[in-house]
Amino acid sequence: MISVSIAGIGGQGNVLAAKILAQAAKTKGWQVRTAETIGMAQRGGDVISHVRMGNNHEEVYAPLPAKGSVDVVIALEPGEGARALPYLKENGLLVVPQSGIAPSTADLKADPYNPAAVIDALAAQGVAVSVVDDQALCDALGTRKALNIMMLAHAINVVNADPRFEHNELRNAISMDELREAIVACVKEKFVTMNLTAVDLVLQSAKVYKI
Amino acid sequence: MSKTFLMGNEAFAHAALEAGVKVCAGYPGTPSSEVLETIAKAHAQGKAEGVHVEWSTNEKAALEMLAGAAYSGARTLFTCKQVGLNVASDALMSLNYVGVEGGTVLFVADDPGPISSQTEQDTRRFASFAKVPVFDPATPEQGCAMIKTAYDVSERYHTPVIVRPTTRVCHASTFIDIEDTTQAKPAKGFEKDSKWVIFPKRSFEAHGEINDRLPKIAADFSACEFNPIEVVSFGQDAEADSTASRDVPVQVSAQEPASDQVPTIGVVAGGISYAYVREALRIIEQLAREAHVALSAVKLMQVGTPYPFPAQRAEEFVQGLEAIMVFEELDHVLEDEFLKLAGQIHAPYTVHGKLTGETTARGENTTDDIAAQLIAFMQLPLSLEGRGMVAQTPIPARPPVLCAGCPHRGSFIAVKNALAAMGKKHEGVYCGDIGCYTLGNAKPLSTVDTCLCMGAGITIAQGITAVDPNRKAVAFVGDSTFFASGMTGVANAVYNGHDITLVVLDNATTAMTGSQPHPGTGVTLVGEHRKPLSIDAVLQALGVEKIIHANPLKAHDAIEAAREAIGFEGPSAVIYESPCTALIAPQAPVEFDEDACTHCTKCVSRLGCPALSWDRENRHPLIDTSLCTGCGLCAELCSDGALACPTQADSTDQSCPSSNAQEA
Ligand code: SF4
Ligand code: SF4
Repeated sequence: MISVSIAGIGGQGNVLAAKILAQAAKTKGWQVRTAETIGMAQRGGDVISHVRMGNNHEEVYAPLPAKGSVDVVIALEPGEGARALPYLKENGLLVVPQSGIAPSTADLKADPYNPAAVIDALAAQGVAVSVVDDQALCDALGTRKALNIMMLAHAINVVNADPRFEHNELRNAISMDELREAIVACVKEKFVTMNLTAVDLVLQSAKVYKI
Repeated sequence: MSKTFLMGNEAFAHAALEAGVKVCAGYPGTPSSEVLETIAKAHAQGKAEGVHVEWSTNEKAALEMLAGAAYSGARTLFTCKQVGLNVASDALMSLNYVGVEGGTVLFVADDPGPISSQTEQDTRRFASFAKVPVFDPATPEQGCAMIKTAYDVSERYHTPVIVRPTTRVCHASTFIDIEDTTQAKPAKGFEKDSKWVIFPKRSFEAHGEINDRLPKIAADFSACEFNPIEVVSFGQDAEADSTASRDVPVQVSAQEPASDQVPTIGVVAGGISYAYVREALRIIEQLAREAHVALSAVKLMQVGTPYPFPAQRAEEFVQGLEAIMVFEELDHVLEDEFLKLAGQIHAPYTVHGKLTGETTARGENTTDDIAAQLIAFMQLPLSLEGRGMVAQTPIPARPPVLCAGCPHRGSFIAVKNALAAMGKKHEGVYCGDIGCYTLGNAKPLSTVDTCLCMGAGITIAQGITAVDPNRKAVAFVGDSTFFASGMTGVANAVYNGHDITLVVLDNATTAMTGSQPHPGTGVTLVGEHRKPLSIDAVLQALGVEKIIHANPLKAHDAIEAAREAIGFEGPSAVIYESPCTALIAPQAPVEFDEDACTHCTKCVSRLGCPALSWDRENRHPLIDTSLCTGCGLCAELCSDGALACPTQADSTDQSCPSSNAQEA
């Protein structure tokens, strides 16, 4: 069983990222279930999607994973990565972008949100966290709209390449080409090129990351 | 037939279409709204032949309309969330007595948690109260099969049937086979018959018919596929996951277990808890394997038809069991049934669950909780300790807030300012309602003092002034809620002379549930255009003598409107009109002029707009240009002209008249 969670804030496109993974799983002939947050939580709140894939042809019963059972957490925002941490397996991979989104608050005395400190704290407690220079990538693409796809591509790339994830269930389960195919099948036609370019940008810059 | 990635609710819509549903109606409510939207979409694409689908003004209107269609022989589908059934209950209670001709399925989505609801009520209880059969799916696939069976049950016994999934089933997605096109079953039309008229004498007879059919339905349920029983045995040194290898639930009667594998422990689950139990057993097996702990087999039963309870099937299940643990969300419906059964058949088993404090009493179940509860119940020397890390760093809280640019923010600020300007003795009570605008209760707006149920703000305000006539009670209601259940409250205020001010937040949509149209928009679910119902005309016709219109984003006018209406003696109304941000393209973001800023902090501390934050170092507001819609509200409220909206002409020279009066 492969479990992947995608954590972000309403509007960041975690549902689409989950759908793309589900599509890739289906092409493989695996059973797949996903879970999403819909409703009150969308109004600026945190949202998380889960994808569970029966890669050993086992039956997937529940759409939601248990604590400590997720192979890869893809965070679209560092604080949301920290929030989703309880789902991550002990040796699982957490990918986060560098930039954070400050929570909205009218409290003038609230401590400013420091995403870099969150990432440092996660690394310090031993989480295998891979940080993406999302600003550079999104600048290169000319939009932040494909951040979800970039983080997804990065996660698959790291888990496939980094020896630390040799026993990760997602390792080599989905290739970059399979990801590309799933993107083509899932996104609106006019956005296909943008999203495929996003994947290419991630791969080109991959060597600059500490993976 | 094609395999499509569908959310539970989308799949249920297709199942109903495939069952030949002809007339569909409901009222939006999370987690149920996507069902009718999916049907409307299929209809628009020409894939669902012969279907009528509508958002009705409220649930009661929907179910009554469907009753007429069902009397006429059409298969009908009603959809709502759990609290929506309260509104439709008047119709449902009698409809079961009258009976239906065409299959009638009520899709009622429950919301354990609750995640986006005001109660954790259990529709299974409602079903038994109304004496109506109910199905409770564990997965979207099973829900689809249940909907098709539900139509057959409904027509065979002339009874309405409820299918009640919960949020996690409604909003879970998977690949499902759907027909490319569907055709509604033809209906023969209404045929006159005395049975359609409910009279006490007829009700007495009908009650007998209901009492006769329920045991028959229970017997059908006992034999159906939705109450599977199986023995889950754990291979001692099996490499593979043995629970996983058994895809098809095995009936216990068809199986001859080895004598050391005859289970004495039973597990019962309903709804998604059944899926969690399967996952939890997998985790337990893995833990046991790692710890070299032997596991004895357990007997597992899903109850997919909680009412009428499939007692024969359950009796089969309890044979040889010493103890049963029951997993279900919301109420202890199944637990009660197994306790009752033990008494009826003098069985020696004990029942463990919510009533014994051994399972989760409220809120959602999870695989983790169920695994821990099963480990305790089975007295296994296993521990779930250490599963899942916890971040050693503070995580920013992200409570839901009104969107940047939301016009409701302007309305709340205007009423608050108007009341503040009227002096301390007019301290207002803000009676809120159900919708995005319930979020007005959050700081810094703090303009929702009460929230009960749809339309109740209007009537609660009347009760408050009945006790304290000097109190200014302001009732907020959204445009969709106004038509759904606000009008009778207004009539009551006029008729009984309650001096309240009604504030209609008209944003031209049903925003909270995802922008559905309603009578005031004039557009129907399938995109037909009708003459929009005018809230103003309705209020006038109901006898409201003071009605003022204002744009909530024009602070000056908005405050004046509120002041005038609140000052009026007798029922009065302000209609704030400005579209939801989901309906319009954002305008150029607001511009900040550092030199003009006096560092008063008002823009940030009073508005709570997510696009505005405070830069502590430089003591001025920061604008998140990716969120700002250029609504102009902050520019209107900045009396120093430091914020300016390029597209909102003359907004900078218009300071907020009472911005200094509001110190609350
Ligand atoms: S969805 Fe519309 S009504 Fe709801 S908070 Fe956002 S702008 Fe306001
Ligand atoms: S104009 Fe001001 S109040 Fe309106 S969205 Fe932008 S920052 Fe918020």
